[in-house]
Amino acid sequence: MSRAIFTLLLVAMLGGCAASLPEAALRLPESTLEVRSIQTRTLATPSEIDILTATIAVLQDMEFNIERIEKPLGVITASKVTDADSRSEKTGLMFLDVLCALGGGGGCDAMSMAQDDQHITLTMVVLPSLARSGEYTARITIQRVIYDKMDRIKVLERIDDAHTYQQIFDNLQKSLFLQVGAK
Amino acid sequence: MSDSLQLLPLLGLLLLAGCATTPANVAGAGTQLETRQIQTREYDTLDKAMTMRSVIATLQDLGFTIDQADAELGTITATRLHEHTMRMTVTVVQKDGLRIAVRANARIGENSVTDAATYQDFFVALDKAMFLTLHKVD
Repeated sequence: MSRAIFTLLLVAMLGGCAASLPEAALRLPESTLEVRSIQTRTLATPSEIDILTATIAVLQDMEFNIERIEKPLGVITASKVTDADSRSEKTGLMFLDVLCALGGGGGCDAMSMAQDDQHITLTMVVLPSLARSGEYTARITIQRVIYDKMDRIKVLERIDDAHTYQQIFDNLQKSLFLQVGAK
Repeated sequence: MSDSLQLLPLLGLLLLAGCATTPANVAGAGTQLETRQIQTREYDTLDKAMTMRSVIATLQDLGFTIDQADAELGTITATRLHEHTMRMTVTVVQKDGLRIAVRANARIGENSVTDAATYQDFFVALDKAMFLTLHKVD
């Protein structure tokens, strides 16, 4: 009996204190080139100011707040907090709570695990193209944190799907057209 | 009292002693020189601005978003939210002549990254980005 308790406590102690760092945390994944091409576009524009202004405008269109701009490096960082409620998820969790209550269990609170809001951070780097003069490359990286109803982190992820990036670049093209056309 | 119950307070104390202390740990662990060596590489191929461009591209390749960048001071801070929260600060400093020193330091959650292999991976990725920049590939 005492040996069992000792083992249990030892495991608890190790679990509580040990911090394991992920291996290969800074190793380039094999998908690097594919992701890079999804996140990058080259755009022809008369001036650096035009493309930076159009980029800021498109971020505002998408309801982002601009956090920081470092013009010499072409870095624009923006963020926004949006609703992450999912009706299907809430229905599922409510069903779990009902099942739990019917089973006579106490503390049925699966709903508190439902997604509440998401914090999205976006970096856009706009620089003169190295390959073609008069053109600019724009590269975007996006990540988000989703919190549940109890403000616990539920999801930490970077956004990799091509459709999202394509949508932003389509908006940027339109914004650039309006920016240059308005002169 | 049974043996197991007598053991409990002792093991409880052990548990507390193992976890409860929270030193300020402002200065960090490890020797200063050793840490610098692991975290630093010198290049003589690109200028400071192009090296910073390559560093930003590398961080984006690795899935980071840029929190802050300062061209004059050569400092870039970035965050990656993927399984763990990882933060990196990279500094690019012009040394004498054409030499550029790039220093990176990383933290994952509450822990600083101290193993040389992780920094080696970062610099391998940076080497590739520097090569692309040098050969004018966007």
